[in-house]
Amino acid sequence: MLTYSLNSSSRGRKVLLGFASLVLLGAASMPAHAEIKIGFQVPQTGPAATDGKSAQIAGEVAADDINAAGGVLGQKVQLVTYDDQAKSDQAMFTANKLIGEDGVKLVVNASYSASGRAAAPVFQKAGVVMISAYGVHPDITRAGDYMFRLEHLGPPQGIAAAIYVGKKLGLKKISTITMDNDYGQATMEGFTEAAPKYGIQVINKYSYSLKDRQFGSIVASVKRDNPDGIYATGYFFTAGPLVAQLRAAGITVPIIGSQAFDSAKFIEIAGPAAEGTYIIDSFDRDRKDEALEKFFAEFKQRAGYPPEGVATETYSAVRLMADAIKRANSAEPDKVRDALAATKDYPLLEGKLIGFNKLHEMIMTVPVNVIKEGKFVPAGEVDDLDAIAPPEK
Amino acid sequence: MYYIDLAVTGVSFGCMYAIMAVGLTLVYGLLRILHIAHAAVFALGAYVTVLVANASGSILGGLIAAIVITPLFGMAIYRLLYEPLLKYRPDVPMVASVGLLVLMQDAFRVLFGEQGVTFRQNSLSFTTFDIAGVNISAVQIAIIVTTVVVFLGLHLFTTYTRIGVGWRATVSRPQIATSFGIDPIKVRYLNFAIGSALAAVAGGLVALLNNLVDPGIGFVVSYKALAIIVLGGLGSVQGTLVASLVLGLVEAYGTIFIGAWLDRDAIAFLALILLLMIRPQGFTGVRTA
Repeated sequence: MLTYSLNSSSRGRKVLLGFASLVLLGAASMPAHAEIKIGFQVPQTGPAATDGKSAQIAGEVAADDINAAGGVLGQKVQLVTYDDQAKSDQAMFTANKLIGEDGVKLVVNASYSASGRAAAPVFQKAGVVMISAYGVHPDITRAGDYMFRLEHLGPPQGIAAAIYVGKKLGLKKISTITMDNDYGQATMEGFTEAAPKYGIQVINKYSYSLKDRQFGSIVASVKRDNPDGIYATGYFFTAGPLVAQLRAAGITVPIIGSQAFDSAKFIEIAGPAAEGTYIIDSFDRDRKDEALEKFFAEFKQRAGYPPEGVATETYSAVRLMADAIKRANSAEPDKVRDALAATKDYPLLEGKLIGFNKLHEMIMTVPVNVIKEGKFVPAGEVDDLDAIAPPEK
Repeated sequence: MYYIDLAVTGVSFGCMYAIMAVGLTLVYGLLRILHIAHAAVFALGAYVTVLVANASGSILGGLIAAIVITPLFGMAIYRLLYEPLLKYRPDVPMVASVGLLVLMQDAFRVLFGEQGVTFRQNSLSFTTFDIAGVNISAVQIAIIVTTVVVFLGLHLFTTYTRIGVGWRATVSRPQIATSFGIDPIKVRYLNFAIGSALAAVAGGLVALLNNLVDPGIGFVVSYKALAIIVLGGLGSVQGTLVASLVLGLVEAYGTIFIGAWLDRDAIAFLALILLLMIRPQGFTGVRTA
């Protein structure tokens, strides 16, 4: 019974602490120092820390930009940041902390699906608005009407790839290579299901583990397949070695990569072999856009490397949340939710967000880049919004 | 041609595993410790190679630096981590070893960045030769040649040099070796130095092949190398070589049949489970049960 009493006393202390911090919070939100708190979950440690670091810096840049322009509704925006390690249990734990201790009503989850999926029901139940900046699991938005996603789901990304490969590039015989996680497989399913509609025949499929960097046997098999092109899903750290090894084996056909190829590091790893690789759902970095140029310069200064997709999406998510507060003319979660749902033609850094569908999945065209002379160069976009429409339930 | 391509791939996978796993085998043979932190030694070799190569502009310089620095780290692991724990059950040093691996992975992350380090100049990994339609890269050739040199060298060393014979004697009959005047502690240092130097070479070559050294570079090899030394018959150098090559070839040819559903790691471990069910004592071990 000793354990029980220890437990209960520590729980008591927690409640007290929570109460004390609530009091402090109350004091902090007096009009003179008014601040709107936005909860911010990022993987600062663990295997997702690479993306987490980028997301964190991008989120901070966004908050600073908002505040430098006078904040929202005359108040400053403050990010309340927690490390979720991109893990389900940490995501739930920090979600409860954000709700209970920090009294946060609006959250940007800048983490992987494992986190967003676990945190979504917790926030939904507490009536907290959450934007998932780049989590791709379908369950995130299915958790309820307070959930929003600023990223194309895997299957629409794959369908967009099929449209681009079949209609724009006119390639017929394709070998596919996919990483064996949720995102890789969901994206690949979208591609293979849509492929026949656009005149594509998938002649062989291969999969690899995220930990792998040696693709010799897949490369040899693709060489034997002799396809017109290769469609691959992967992150820059698998995509770099994969593309380098495909090219080193004398395979010269076009390589079309999924969104997560989108990183300057990909070009660094693959070196000259990266030339000519298409990246679906990338974004136009050199667009003449003041906000984009400013963000690139600021991020690069703080991080020491240029921002990738994850950073850009996180920045956009924080800015969109602030914009919704402004449009709602209130930081009340119900009003912010309605304002977010009513978003129309909002300029994200990645391009124009047309809006959200019933499930709060984003509606947006899919831009494509190609790598030329070591740089990302725009190569058109997939704008068949009906074909790439996200699911509504 | 396809099958020859796969053979080249399989043999180079196998050679990589062999150079990596032989250090593990040596440590297990001598001390009966599962030296999991060997993967951190491997990763250190990779980091030293890429950092020195980038600073000096010479890949060879990077590899030499790795061969010099990494054994010092290996010996330090023995002296500071294993030696004080040898009096306990073998699972105690093993747990410490796992701890060191995790610690080192995070240390690499903090020191050299989450995104990993690439070679500024890596002509090797982008150089390939076309031999009668079969593609082989310069790094693959280097890996295969290194493996031949390493195993031949180990064989000659343990057969024809006094210190080498003493080493072998200490592994198989420690008491008798001591009574013949061989210092078992010196042998242990030698063991860690050689094993770590080989891991460093493997790390450097894998780094060149991937053109990327990230904090997790040692992870896959760590558990695969463990499986290999079990399959090879714990403590046997020849067995390790055979098991490595078998595994490399199974991974390479496995993709033909089940590539779409299973990745290469899964194929490798499926094969390992089957092989161990047939020969639980490994390829060269004697069945004791």
